[in-house]
Parts: sequence; C-alpha cells; structure tokens
Amino acid sequence: MVKFTAEELRRIMDFKHNIRNMSVIAHVDHGKSTLTDSLVAAAGIIAQEVAGDVRMTDTRADEAERGITIKSTGISLYYEMTDDSLRNFKGERNGNEYLINLIDSPGHVDFSSEVTAALRITDGALVVVDCVEGVCVQTETVLRQALGERIRPVLTVNKMDRCFLELQVDGEEAYQTFQRVIENANVIMATYEDPLLGDVQVYPEKGTVAFSAGLHGWAFTLTNFAKMYASKFGVDESKMMERLWGENFFDPATKKWTTKNTGTASCKRGFVQFCYEPIKQIINTCMNDQKDKLWPMLQKLGVTMKSDEKDLMGKALMKRVMQTWLPASTALLEMMIYHLPSPSTAQKYRVENLYEGPLDDAYANAIRNCDPEGPLMLYVSKMIPASDKGRFFAFGRVFAGKVSTGMKVRIMGPNYVPGEKKDLYVKNIQRTVIWMGKRQETVEDVPCGNTVAMVGLDQFITKNATLTNEKEVDAHPIRAMKFSVSPVVRVAVQCKVASDLPKLVEGLKRLAKSDPMVVCSIEESGEHIIAGAGELHLEICLKDLQDDFMGGAEIIKSDPVVSFRETVLEKSTRTVMSKSPNKHNRLYMEARPMEEGLAEAIDEGRIGPRDDPKVRSKILAEEFGWDKDLAKKIWCFGPETTGPNMVVDMCKGVQYLNEIKDSVVAGFQWASKEGALAEENMRGICFEVCDVVLHSDAIHRGGGQVIPTARRVIYASQLTAKPRLLEPVYLVEIQAPEQALGGIYSVLNQKRGHVFEEMQRPGTPLYNIKAYLPVVESFGFSGTLRAATSGQAFPQCVFDHWEMMSSDPLEAGSQAHQLVLDIRKRKGLKDQMTPLSEFEDKL
Amino acid sequence: MDLESTYEIDRVAGFISARGFRRVALQFPDNLLKDSTRIVAALHEKLRSFSQLHAGRNGDAKDVKLYVMADTMYGNCCVDEVGASHANADCVIHYGHTCFSPTSTLPAFLVLGKASLNVPLCAQTLCEYTIKAGKPILVLYGLEYTHTITEIKASVGAQVCSELEVHYADIMSPIITPPENCSSMNEQPELSDGQCANGCSIEVNDATYCVGGLKWSLPVGHRIEDYLIFYVGSDDPAFANILMTYNACEIVRYDATEDNLVNDFSQQKRILKRRYFLIEKAKDASIIGILVGTLGVAGYLHMIHQMKDLITRAGKKAYTFVMGRPNPAKLANFPECDIFVYVSCAQTALLDSKEFLAPVITPFEAMIAFGRGSEWTGAYVTEFRDLITSSPMEAKNQSEARFSFIQGGYVEDVEQQEVEEVEDGVSALVNITEKALRVRDKDSQTLMPGTAKSGAEYFATRSYHGLDIHPENNFSEPFLIGKSGRASGYKNETAQKS
Repeated sequence: MVKFTAEELRRIMDFKHNIRNMSVIAHVDHGKSTLTDSLVAAAGIIAQEVAGDVRMTDTRADEAERGITIKSTGISLYYEMTDDSLRNFKGERNGNEYLINLIDSPGHVDFSSEVTAALRITDGALVVVDCVEGVCVQTETVLRQALGERIRPVLTVNKMDRCFLELQVDGEEAYQTFQRVIENANVIMATYEDPLLGDVQVYPEKGTVAFSAGLHGWAFTLTNFAKMYASKFGVDESKMMERLWGENFFDPATKKWTTKNTGTASCKRGFVQFCYEPIKQIINTCMNDQKDKLWPMLQKLGVTMKSDEKDLMGKALMKRVMQTWLPASTALLEMMIYHLPSPSTAQKYRVENLYEGPLDDAYANAIRNCDPEGPLMLYVSKMIPASDKGRFFAFGRVFAGKVSTGMKVRIMGPNYVPGEKKDLYVKNIQRTVIWMGKRQETVEDVPCGNTVAMVGLDQFITKNATLTNEKEVDAHPIRAMKFSVSPVVRVAVQCKVASDLPKLVEGLKRLAKSDPMVVCSIEESGEHIIAGAGELHLEICLKDLQDDFMGGAEIIKSDPVVSFRETVLEKSTRTVMSKSPNKHNRLYMEARPMEEGLAEAIDEGRIGPRDDPKVRSKILAEEFGWDKDLAKKIWCFGPETTGPNMVVDMCKGVQYLNEIKDSVVAGFQWASKEGALAEENMRGICFEVCDVVLHSDAIHRGGGQVIPTARRVIYASQLTAKPRLLEPVYLVEIQAPEQALGGIYSVLNQKRGHVFEEMQRPGTPLYNIKAYLPVVESFGFSGTLRAATSGQAFPQCVFDHWEMMSSDPLEAGSQAHQLVLDIRKRKGLKDQMTPLSEFEDKL
Repeated sequence: MDLESTYEIDRVAGFISARGFRRVALQFPDNLLKDSTRIVAALHEKLRSFSQLHAGRNGDAKDVKLYVMADTMYGNCCVDEVGASHANADCVIHYGHTCFSPTSTLPAFLVLGKASLNVPLCAQTLCEYTIKAGKPILVLYGLEYTHTITEIKASVGAQVCSELEVHYADIMSPIITPPENCSSMNEQPELSDGQCANGCSIEVNDATYCVGGLKWSLPVGHRIEDYLIFYVGSDDPAFANILMTYNACEIVRYDATEDNLVNDFSQQKRILKRRYFLIEKAKDASIIGILVGTLGVAGYLHMIHQMKDLITRAGKKAYTFVMGRPNPAKLANFPECDIFVYVSCAQTALLDSKEFLAPVITPFEAMIAFGRGSEWTGAYVTEFRDLITSSPMEAKNQSEARFSFIQGGYVEDVEQQEVEEVEDGVSALVNITEKALRVRDKDSQTLMPGTAKSGAEYFATRSYHGLDIHPENNFSEPFLIGKSGRASGYKNETAQKS
C-alpha cells in the first residue's frame, strides 16, 4: 500500500532544495491532525477513503480516545510533483521529487512545550484556523512562538465544510468571515515580524492562504481556480489570482470586472463568483443526490469518477467528488513547496537564532550553508518513548553534516559550557531511523536538513542536546529551547505498595525524560512531586507513569498541590535585632516590599546577580526610583542566588562587615527559600541590613555564629513587615456563544475568578472572555464550566502572575491563616507558626 | 525503691572486686547526677566490706578509687571511654539509659536502673491486644523495665487469654568486655556470638535478632514482619530506633507512665520519609563532612575510614570533624559542607537537622546516597556495625546521568567522570594547571551551595578572603607578639583579672 520505500526517501534526503520541514500548528480542535491525515493519505500511507477519520499522527491510545493530540509526531512523506505544477516555481530545485518532513503538534495549551520542540526542528509552519471560530488564543501563542524561532508561516482556513453544510451562509458573508480570519492572523504576524524573515503576512492572492475541509479531505488555493479560469479569460494566472480576492467584482451580465460592487443583482465578488459558488453548487447537488445534474458539471470541470464511486450517495458522494476535484494534498503541498523555505534557504537566516557560538566559525557556516560535507550539527529536541518500555528514541534535526549509524558523537547537554567537561559525553549512535507514521525505518545515514531519530543515546540525553562529531571539540551547542508555559500544578505521588518505591523512582526518571515540561522532584517531607503545565497535562503524565514507565504498579496521587509565595505588605514597623548564639554579635534588619514590577524584572533576568553593577543601578534608578548609590550595595539575590528577593547593605561605617557578608548571604539563601510563615519561597522582599555589632575577635563572629543569626533576623523582619501570602493566578481565556455567558460568569464568581475583558468577535455570535482565576480554584474548572454551559465553553488556562491574598496570615481564623496551617500540616511542620519572639532578641 | 536495689550496688561491687579493678569510673547522665554522691558512698561502703573479706585472706587490700564522670561528650547512652581514660580507669560503670554499644578498650558494667510499672494493667492490656491482633506477638521493652518482664510473663501466662504465641525478648549481659586485641577491633570488628548487632545472623535453627540490648530469636520460616511488636516503655531514642529498624512491622507502645496504649506513629513514619528526602539531598552534595560522634563504640574508626573511602570513590570530597555533640552553630562554621555524616551509636545517630544549615545523615543513608546504583527499599539500619562490609562495596560504574529529585532533573556528576579516566602523570598535570588557570568571572562570585567541589574552591568564591594584602606598600611591619590561650579567656586577660 505504501507508495514509496525507505530507500527512495533516503535518496531525496540528499537534495536539500527539495526538502520541506514543516509543523502543523493551531488552536485546539481546529483540525490539525485531521488535515495532516489527508496529506499522509496522498503519500500513500493510508487509504484515501479513510483519510479524515484515522488521525494517523495520533499514535497513542489515549490520543485517539480523547480526540486530541498530546505528543507531536513526526512523519516523513514523499511526493512526486508533476512538471506542470512546478512550472511557475522559481526557486532552486532538483527534479520533481519532494520530501516533506511533517510534524503534527498538539493544540491544547498544556502541551505547548511539544509545539516548541516541533518548531525548533522545522522551517515552516502550516497554521490551521477554524473558519468559524477564527483566530483563537492558542493560535496567537503558537504563531508568536513560530515567528520567534524564525519559522515562516502559511495559513489554511479550515473546516470550510461547516460553511456549506452547517451554517449555509451565502458567498459574500463567507468571504467577509474568511477575510477577517486572515486579517486577524496577519495582525499577529505583523506584531512579531522579524526583519530577516521579511514579510511574513499571508495573502490569498499570493497563494499563501489555502481553504480546506480537513474532515472531507479537500482544499484549494486561489491558484487552483486561477489556473482554471486564466485561459478562459485570456489573462495570465497571477493576474487572475489577484482578481479572485479583494475588491474585485464581476458581473456575468456585462462580463466586466470592476473594483466596486455595481449594485446590480448579478454583480458578485470575484471570489464568490468563481470559487465559492461553484463549490457550493457541487456540494448541494451531491447532498441532494441530483446525479443527473452532477455528472455534466463534473465533466466540465474535468473530474472523472470511477464507476463504483458513482453509486455513492449523499455525504459519501460529496466527500469523494470533492476529494477528486480539489484534493487537499495537491493544494496544500503546492502551497508548502512554493511558499515554505527549504532547509538550505531557512538555515541562512535561522543560524543566528540557533547557534550559540561565534557566527563566523566553521560550524555556523556549515549550518548557514546547510552543508552535508561540513561538521555534524544536530539538535535533539525531544525524546520519544520506544515500543520496548523504558527506552527512548532521540528525535531531532540535522542542521549540518551527516549523521550515520555507528557514528561516534559528542553529546552536549543543556548545561554544557564550551571548554569544560560538564554535561558532555562521547558515545556511539546505534541506529539512525526515519519516521513514517506508526512505522520506523532504519537508514544508513541522514544528511543535513532532515529530521532523524536515533537509538542508543537515551542514557546520555536528558531532555535535549546538541550532537557533533567526536573530533569537533571547539563546537558550541545550539541554543536551548525556551518554553512558553511553566509547570505550576503539582501532585504528590506515592506507590500503593511500599516496596514498589524503586519502580516509582525509575518511572519518574523516565517520565522526566519523555516530557521536557514535567518536573519530578521531592519535597522536604519526602513526598515525590510531579509538576505539570496544567490539569490535563498532569493527568496524561500520571497515566504514562503508571502504565508505561512503572509497568502498571499502582500509585496513589494526592489532590493537586499549589505552591505559594511569602511576601510583605509594608516596611517593617521597627528595626529588629537578633543576637548570635554566643550573644556577642547583633544584626539589625528591616524588610520592605520591592517596588512594583521589580520582582518580575528579576524573574525575567533583566536584573540579576551577574549584571554589570552600573547597568543594574541605572535600571533600578530610572525604572524603580532607587538611589543610585544604594543600587550598588545589593549584596545578593535569593533564593538560589537568582530569586526575586534581595539583601541591601544600609550600614554606615561598620567594622568587619565585609567579613560576615558571606555568612549573611548564606543565611539569606536559606531563609528566603523557606519563609517564616509556611516555609514557602519568599518573593518580592527587600531586606535592609541596618546595623551590625560584631565581636572584635574573628573567632567569635564566624559562620557558625552569623549564619543562624542572619536567618533569624530575616524571619523577624519578615514577620514585622505585615507578611502576606501570594497565590498563583491563571489567565483564563474562554470563547463561547452569548447564551453561555451567564453560566461562565456564575462559575467564575463561584471560583473567585474575575472577568476583565469581554469582547464580541466581529461578525460572529461568539464572545471572547478573559479572566483571572486563582490556580487553587482551577481544579475541575473545565468540567464545571462545561457542565454549566452545556459544553459550549472551553477554557484555556495559562499561569499569569502572583497575586497577594489580602487576609493576614498572622491573624487566627483568617483565610490565609488557615491556608498556612494546611501547608504546614502537609509539610509535616510544627502546627503553629514560630512566634516573632523566637527570632527577635531584646537588647 | 531504695538506692541499693535500683542501682544494683551489690552486683556492681561484686563486679569490681571480683575482677580486681583499682580505678573505676562511674558514668552518670545528667538526670541521675543528683544520686551520684549517695551511690559513691554506698559503693565505697560495699567495697570496703568486700575488701575486708579479702584482706582477711591475703592482706594486700588497697582502696578502690571511684571517679564520677558527668557531662559526657557524646550521647549519654554510650560508655565514655575517653573520659574514663583521663582518670586512668580500669573499667566503667555506666548508669542510666544505654544503647549497649560494645566498647573498644575498657570493660564496662551497665546499670540499667529500674522504673516502676503497673504490671497487672500492662499484662491486661497485652492480653486484650493479643486477642484483637490475630498475629503472633513479640514483646520488646525499654531497658529500665527489664525487671518487670518476668512478672508480666507470669501474669499473662496466668490469664489464659489466647492460644496465640507471645514471644519475649531477652536482655543481654550487662557486662561488656572489649575484645582481647583492641587494635584489631578498630580495624576489623568481628561480630562475636554475644555481640551480634542489629539485624540478624542466621543460625542453624533460629534467626536471632538483637537491638539496643534486647535479643530474641524467631523460629525458622518466620519473618519479623509476621509479628506484631508490643513495646513497653516510653517514647525515647531506643523506641525510635526500633520503629525505624522495623518500619515494616505493626508496632504498638504501652506507655508506662500514662498506662495507656499508643499506636499512632504517623510522626515517626514522617521521619522515615524525611530521611528518604535527606538521602536524595545527599546525592546532590559535593562536599561531605564526616562528624565523629563517638570515640568509644567499637569499630567507629573502621566506619570512618569506610565512609571516607565511599565518598572519595563517589567523586566527592570528605572532611572529618571531631566536635562533640553537633549543634547548628558548630556546624554552620563549615558552610562549605553540603551534608554531614554522623558516625555514632544507633540511638544518637538520628538527628533532626531541621535547624541546621546542612542536614546530618547516618552512615546507612550515606551508603545509599553515595554508592551509585543502590536504592532505598524501605529497610533501615541505624547501627553502623551492621554496615561494615569486609569487602568494600563496588561503586557501580553507571554511565547514565544521575537524576536529582532535588533539582527535578538529570544532573551531571563531573568528578565521577574524571575519576573514571585513567591518565598518565603528565596529562593529569596539564589538566590540573588548565583548571588552575581558568579565568573566573568576577561578577559570578556568588555562593551557591553544592557548586564548589572542595573547601579550597569554596573559599575562592567567597567575597572575603581574610586580610587584604597590599603589594604596593611593602615596607616591613613591626613584629608583634599576639594573644595566646583560649578564646574564652586569653592568657593576658586572666592575668588582669587575678
């Protein structure tokens, strides 16, 4: 059944101009996987008839079950184009055979790390947008990600069948909808434009927009129709294409083109007249089984049906007819081959984004020129679990050189620093493999510009890595990927049978490897924690853990755990003092909240310990109103030396102060990691060292005396500065019809959420709602929302910010107090918070 | 109860005079110190009467010198041999709670003391519990209740309550004799029959278990997990030790002071989990401090050597500290250590190090953490003598990156790789100089626990390195004589006072 062999595929891999690496990206449920199917069908891997139903790239059982994609799946496809269809192709090419390395990605926001991984190893993106729902939240996110990686997009307006069958809208209305969808997409693309990438906006009249119906397996670009009509009107194709979009009207009565609607009944827009109406007509005749009318029409269009297909009725007939007339693969492939860059084109401008080293060394040049003879540069973007449990394929893209079976490679991990031995291995590749849907084919070698999977490296690659040839010791790694979501939802897991613990540990290690977004850690209390991007993500992770990585051993999961942060509301009411254990040293300190936005700036890395002090003090003085000299007296950031809290030296003329700085810093790192309230991380607190009294003998003011004291005085100053808890808050975006709004509002109210934006989507009955929702309340939110709106609202939650809880955790009975007690109980700490008197000493 | 019987004056005096000891150290924990003078007086009296008996025969009777020792350097439960040798003592009489750790040089006599117990009530509770349990019962007890066990046994036997078997643990001999060749004891201790340590040694018929001075044996084919443990005593380190060691068993405790049954040990289970966390944390450590927590327990030197060896083979750096009982202030003087291993007797080893800058773990935990490829299965060993292996455990040469649950990802143990590489002298030298000459980023001088690989490296990243040396003004400074003496009062200061 397969129309091509691994050998054929391998042969084209050498023609770097005839390769297209592309990912399919979109909002959840806009039809990526379904559309991908029709492309795969055309390549002959699955039968044309079932295309649209199989979801070839959803290889996991749970993906098929839920009808959503969870993991991005790569597939290599081979197409032979006709000379005719390549007539207008101006770029470089090498024969008519093309290799498409296609990666289908998930649309749900919880899995957007998969999209990131897919984008890294592709050069172009097919953006799929539902013609009714339009550009959604996730569409925007993935577009932004794509452009950030310098991935050139093309657009397809999908689910056209809904226009014809469900909504039955007329031509002009449909045109307006499509026009708006494309405009919305273009607005986003223009925002994130990159000068090197050039104009990335899409235009139907240039052929960079397709119209498709993934479910029925058909699609067209204006090129298809332009070709059809060009000869009829006696104009060339490009001219015809322009007329088929925009403000061009045709009146069949006068046979004249105008740029304004003349107002006569027969005057219609070019697109409506020549594209929309004919399709509508065909579909209607098919659906009504008016076969006597249908055959002549098809004949006129040059579509011939097989005799057995002629017996089909209704929808099946329509699907078959449309597939024969406007096959999705032809339209989409043509669009990709014409408008998406080949690796050799794309790597010219992507090299700057990719390579960490100097852009004029041999490796940068090899990437830039996509040189198969150059040194090997390969980026592994993800690990795919293999069918034998516990092993992984390393999946990635060859940017330069060739990778072959048995080759000895240098593996540079994410923490590798050139010149050092950290995170560096030299190992053999056991096998190189290419992916063909559910099958894998072993090949001898894979040249640059292609995606590849490798066997035998899984022990040494943790999540992603750069591979080079063994000898290339001076190569720098390829830049690590940045993920747009962060793991904020956590559950504690333990095994049902205590002796399964080694299994659980092993399983967690495998899980962490298989998914770059999941974090497996351990709490102080000894509980294993799995952190994921969202509820759905966690659910999938737990399922994988239990079934695939632990061989079915039972696990118990806790309720979701949310981590909080501790902060302060005001400046300390007084300067607090703590004495060292030997009573010979005294530290005086105050705490105050950081200026608004400063904590975020530290998070983003705009301000940090490694900054040039001059630059840092400039930013602090200009943006946050700090005193210039004070900005130079920042001792450290914490926790983990980079966190959003700091210690500032406000003392004047204290002897030996420099000696105890390291000890105070050590105490601060410790205290800021475990705040005084519930041992959660601190956030946004600035500690000011006001005065220090030290013993004159160095032996009496050593670390042992100062470190515990610094910790105590920090806690004391935190407790005197109106301590508060910060809770994580999601930004929720919901799209729903008007009648569902009431339900949405009531659910949000119930869950302490609040709406801050409500907008009607122009031209649709749909509303876009943006709201803030505390993460604590978000568990089961989608379910409740679905129930309250009879399934019409679908929320997307992304972590947005930390929000201060207004109640006072020190006041017994308040909500925050209760929360603190709960956290302390979970962590196995003493029930009550340690009182201030334990930390503060009197003179 | 009177002094005589509580402190077994008779037996002690008999022990001393029978062996002919001349200088005897009496070791008291703080809570018994108040009785010490009376005990000494009573002992003197007793010994005199004994010696008069002897003198009547031989005529060469000399006075036995008694020394009272208090404020022990390490745990109260261990025999303080170092303290005793300060007094040149021939033997030690140890009073109060003890861990039955074997001594290395001096013979010792352990006086367990006697605490009162409501025997009928305890027997009653035990009976009721036996009926409910449906499993064989093993009765363990705090050493201060040893004298009541025979009574309980009889009492339970009298109330024919169940056909289920009830086992009682026996007490070991209160006399501890160090092995003849004491040097070999520290090198390679042999577990003699009388001194089997925690855990079990399978004999021909029965499996024998010993813990903290108690010993018992179970019939062939029975595992300790099949038994319910009924403990008589208070919630002290000895009980914690039993809880940790037999964490797979169901345990209830009869509290002798409250006269009730306690069976909620969620706090203890929590401790076990926390120890597990500490093991994970230890895996991430690169500088490890070995705390010497005993100078008496047999085999401690061997254990320290073994720990050092283990740590070095794991590619980490070890430093040894002798500092008496550790406290946060003492340990914080060594902030370069990421974790401490506390080599001490079983009952002081479990130190809650929440308030410490760096956690303190036991040798058993260190073995799991630093021996690559070993996983914790739930079994727990507190007694370090059970860990002494004659053939050093092979650190498995696993090449896969290690997964750190603390950082939530795979991490690289740099040293591990470098240790693997066998290099000739020249290239090793080149490597070292290469590292020495590496330019350091001036701004990145922030201390991050776990990043430094040795004390020297840690010191280099500190912002304060001690006195500043100014090469520009290199005229000679006058030579001054500094202070001498101890920091608590220098010689010149005391001179002023007096």
